[in-house]
Amino acid sequence: MKLPYFEYEAPATVAEAVELLTKHQDEASVLAGGQSLIPLLALRLARPAMVIDINGLDELSGVSVTDGRVAIGAMTRDYAAEESDAVADAVPLLAAALPFIGHEAIRSRGTIGGSLAHADPAAELPAVALALDAEFVVRSQSGDRVIPAGEWFEGYLTTARSADEILVEVRFPAAARGTGVCFQEVARRHGDFAIVGLAASLTVAGSSITDARLAFAGVSDVPVRAADAEQLLVGQAPSADLFAAAATRATADLDPPADLHGSPDYRRKVAAALVRRGLQAAADNADERQ
Amino acid sequence: MPDITVSVNGAARTGSVEARKTLADFLREDLDLTGTHVGCEHGVCGACTVIVDGRPTRSCLMLAVQAAGSEVTTIEGLAPDGTLGALQQAMWDSHSFQCGFCTPGFVMQATAFLSAHPDADEQQIREALSGNICRCTGYQSIIDGVLLAAERGRQG
Amino acid sequence: MAQIAAERYTGASIKRSEDPRILTGGGRYVDDIKLPGMLHAAFVRSPLPHARVAAVDVTAAQALPGVVAVLTGADLAAITIPGPDPLLAMMGGGGPMPEYSLLATDKVRFVGDPVAVVIADSRYLAEDGCDLVEVSYEDLPPVASAAVALDAGSTPLFANLGDNIVGPHKRNEFGDVAGTFAAADRVSEFRIDVHRHQNVPMEGRACVASHDAGSGVLTVYAATQSVHVTRLGVAMRLGIEPDKVRVLAGDIGGSFGLKIGASREELAVAAASRALGRPVKWVEDRGENLTASGQAREESFDVRAAVSDDGDLLGLDVKVVVDTGAYPVMGTMVPSIMEAMLPGPYKLGALGFESMAVATNKASYVAYRGPWASETFVRERVLDLLASDLGLDPVAIRLRNAAPRTDPPATMITGRPLVGVTTTESLERVAELVDFPAFRRRQADLRARGRYLGIGLATFIEAAPGPRSSDEPQGPMALESMRLRLENDGIVTLFTGQMPHGQSHQTTLAQIAADEFGVPFEQVRVVVGDSDVVPFGLTGGSRSATMTGGVALHGARQLKVKVLDFASHLMEASARDLEITDGKVLVRGDPASAITVEEVARQAATGQFAADVDTNLAVEATFDGGEGGWSGGTHCAIIEVDVETGLVNVERYVAVEDCGALINPAVVEGQIRGGVAQGIGAVLLERSAYDEDGNYQSATFMDYLLPTACDIPRIEIEHLETVPLDADVNFRGVGEGGMIVAPPTMVSAIEDALAPFGVRIYEQHLPPARILELIEAAGRG
Repeated sequence: MKLPYFEYEAPATVAEAVELLTKHQDEASVLAGGQSLIPLLALRLARPAMVIDINGLDELSGVSVTDGRVAIGAMTRDYAAEESDAVADAVPLLAAALPFIGHEAIRSRGTIGGSLAHADPAAELPAVALALDAEFVVRSQSGDRVIPAGEWFEGYLTTARSADEILVEVRFPAAARGTGVCFQEVARRHGDFAIVGLAASLTVAGSSITDARLAFAGVSDVPVRAADAEQLLVGQAPSADLFAAAATRATADLDPPADLHGSPDYRRKVAAALVRRGLQAAADNADERQ
Repeated sequence: MPDITVSVNGAARTGSVEARKTLADFLREDLDLTGTHVGCEHGVCGACTVIVDGRPTRSCLMLAVQAAGSEVTTIEGLAPDGTLGALQQAMWDSHSFQCGFCTPGFVMQATAFLSAHPDADEQQIREALSGNICRCTGYQSIIDGVLLAAERGRQG
Repeated sequence: MAQIAAERYTGASIKRSEDPRILTGGGRYVDDIKLPGMLHAAFVRSPLPHARVAAVDVTAAQALPGVVAVLTGADLAAITIPGPDPLLAMMGGGGPMPEYSLLATDKVRFVGDPVAVVIADSRYLAEDGCDLVEVSYEDLPPVASAAVALDAGSTPLFANLGDNIVGPHKRNEFGDVAGTFAAADRVSEFRIDVHRHQNVPMEGRACVASHDAGSGVLTVYAATQSVHVTRLGVAMRLGIEPDKVRVLAGDIGGSFGLKIGASREELAVAAASRALGRPVKWVEDRGENLTASGQAREESFDVRAAVSDDGDLLGLDVKVVVDTGAYPVMGTMVPSIMEAMLPGPYKLGALGFESMAVATNKASYVAYRGPWASETFVRERVLDLLASDLGLDPVAIRLRNAAPRTDPPATMITGRPLVGVTTTESLERVAELVDFPAFRRRQADLRARGRYLGIGLATFIEAAPGPRSSDEPQGPMALESMRLRLENDGIVTLFTGQMPHGQSHQTTLAQIAADEFGVPFEQVRVVVGDSDVVPFGLTGGSRSATMTGGVALHGARQLKVKVLDFASHLMEASARDLEITDGKVLVRGDPASAITVEEVARQAATGQFAADVDTNLAVEATFDGGEGGWSGGTHCAIIEVDVETGLVNVERYVAVEDCGALINPAVVEGQIRGGVAQGIGAVLLERSAYDEDGNYQSATFMDYLLPTACDIPRIEIEHLETVPLDADVNFRGVGEGGMIVAPPTMVSAIEDALAPFGVRIYEQHLPPARILELIEAAGRG
């Protein structure tokens, strides 16, 4: 299908972009990488009156590290984040998830901020951001505010960003020593959206887990943090039995959707398998980062 | 309708397009570069793959206006004087294709991939090409073409 | 036996002459065509599965700048002639044929049913116009499945039919069915379902229609498997003399059975072009292709098998219901082919077969690569299930039941002789290539460690083109024509009605002609795709290797006779003493006598010969298939199931095939691999899904999943070549076989992997969630 008509603006500065959003609010869609928005436009499922193209905002690109946090500009392309040493060193869970995003051509254009602002619950980055308690920096004409990941994902394709705000940066904490990570997904084919995905991170000191992060993709209309399962893990020694218990706990309260690719029961089963496998892999990797 | 100038296959090309027109449609209709094909228009099949600023890109997921100021290479740009490039020759030798509709997308994706990963093995090549759909071949002959090109490239 | 010319090209994987343009973006597909003044069409389509059309308001759409015209179903009905689908009309399907309008008039019958067509300056604007067309619908109860359609109380899709049964309910019996079943040691019953899936070529349907008022000629640039069938279809529906319709086809992006004749939309576009006096282009987008172009394979089988305790399959009694969708095309024709093919290469002594086709609110059931393929699926599934019941090895039960190669050949109970079928040889060869005992040890070892590998196989035959039979009705497909001409410049031109869309005919036919005539490969040109120029033909049915390869072979010989007869006047030698080698005509044994074929041709064109010298260096050749023949083989897959996720990995896939002599091995293998990929896709990924209300759910590539390079393994292929059936033409087709046999091969392997759980499989679509369901159900039951 062909895209429907829309007004088009390509602001040269973030301030201009914010001004446009303030003026047009919900009537405008922000065009970042386009790998999610343009298909919606082409299928005529989205019909914004205006498209604000922020690909000219070079100031929103880039990875920097300060104070134990990695700040990634919203317009940083997926492939650039994949190639970033800072990301690989300090945010290994993000580095592990990036290759799962679609295919290489998607990652040529897709952006870190775009995926997180779009907030498809089956996408990889929302689960990673939620697992790591990332922070979302949005800007309006009133200035910047910082929204923690726990408050960012409000509903299906809905975030805490107001219509007059633009996401400028996402901040990830740097992984502590002794952290092992695993990102996995069960997808119908290589590169597809996850039927169920899992972002897992374990920090191990001595023989005991000091920090555990588990977040699912694809099990709800938002990414889901398995906080209870995390608590079960902290303070314990890694073991297959422990991971099995965590899997049971993590999936007990899940209420996944039914769709063409799987029933709720199927997703729960797969989620449990991913927790068992993901925690084992993360524990194995943790050894390497001591 | 804004005028845009895009560098396509090394030449500055100008057109007057609505903002909603995709790069794929601009190449095919405004520039008569019909080698880039449209297979799904929602970014899954890869038939529309071109190279933008050195990166493989789905041209159906880019607006033409977004390509202004970028360097775009299409299938027509690989063998401008009619002599097949090394990858194309290897694919010819390997009987890589049948109906040919997916071909330009595969050639562009493989071109970009091989230039960045000249020593890729079969599994890496399969993953790199897994975003391009072919309905005719079952992929083996395409993979063989890419492997042959890589091997010849190593032999110099 | 005629002397077979030195095979320099035939049998070799000659590089394709199609590829230089294909690889450089120089292919010319319908959407690449630009004509002056050309307009673009887009269709308004029903969002509802079943509804009355109360009103269609096109005023807002017509008023949109850039929109040139909006035509409704009523508008088109007024300028066209009612009739059935052109392919159906040509093939003569059985049963009542509802005549339906090009666009819906009073009713819509499936989601995607076209209701109006907007013609505008660009496709963008045409779609904008579609958004503005207002259609009022009155919902009708959906007939969303065959079960609903079979209910006499379901709302009829077609008023003139009274119910939703569109295919005649026929029962035929072959052999003594009742006696066989009464005497059998056991009778097993199975219900086997094949799911709806579809062709999905990478290029959808497309055409440009251009009516020239001055000459009255309507030119249609088409993506089609036959320019002539399209021409006849257009002529019929538009009420134009066929000689005033010209169909041109260039490169075509695949079809697999979809693009035969002319679809309702293409006919609407042709009529619109004539009405507007301007060229009109329509290129279906992927949503239209998935939703509306047609789907295939949805059949349910109730099977009874009469079996001996030793594993002899004595008889089958099969009832099939075909879900033909809303506008019956192929669905009513498929059962009779299934019936004919059901015995397969086995010694089956009795067959009872009943069929029924029902109309539902879904897209039409169309031909898809091996349209009858489910008969192989059913038969091979039954053999596996019986083997499991009887504790027999799956290879052994097939060897036991395979018809032996005898002279005269064994005959299927449904009538066709199994001449040259090498089922036993292919089964044995697969067993050699795949060390079953070693696999079983490995399988047991891995099972103990919680990993589930499985091995499966299936064997098949396909009529490619089928054995010679005097009982066969002689239709347009029974004789293949070709015109061969030596041009003034020495090029040998072949004019064929074949319409390649990936089959590489421009290469393979040139190989044969080059060998037979005696010129280099580059000196042969194959002309396709112009209904003014090429003889009648259709690419399909896995017949071109034999029929067209054969007519090329014999035609090239006939042309050579003519050319040598003429050359004898130039060279003062008897034609008997002349030969053509490597592009030169020479007296045998006297190289100094050689003159080029080009020179001979040039001379013939000078007109300087006596009236009794035949200087028309062209022949019209026909070929009836010679001894015809079957292709077939055995495929084997080794797979692993992750029983926690249901994901299946294909570790190894082996195909032992027999298609007689190979014209071009690379082309043959490409056809096999592509078909196998579609079969793997059908089992693991592809489903044309409708919900219980008739809403279509697989309208994008995010939901209709095609296999990728990570899903299809290297497919090992080995060729058997039967003893030649025909002195000269021993090439047989392979187009459909891979797609026919891969699904039962895969399902067989998955069932084997899940055997420890007690899983038995009676269906073809096994996505991950379904595999987990099967494991769980087997555990409960």
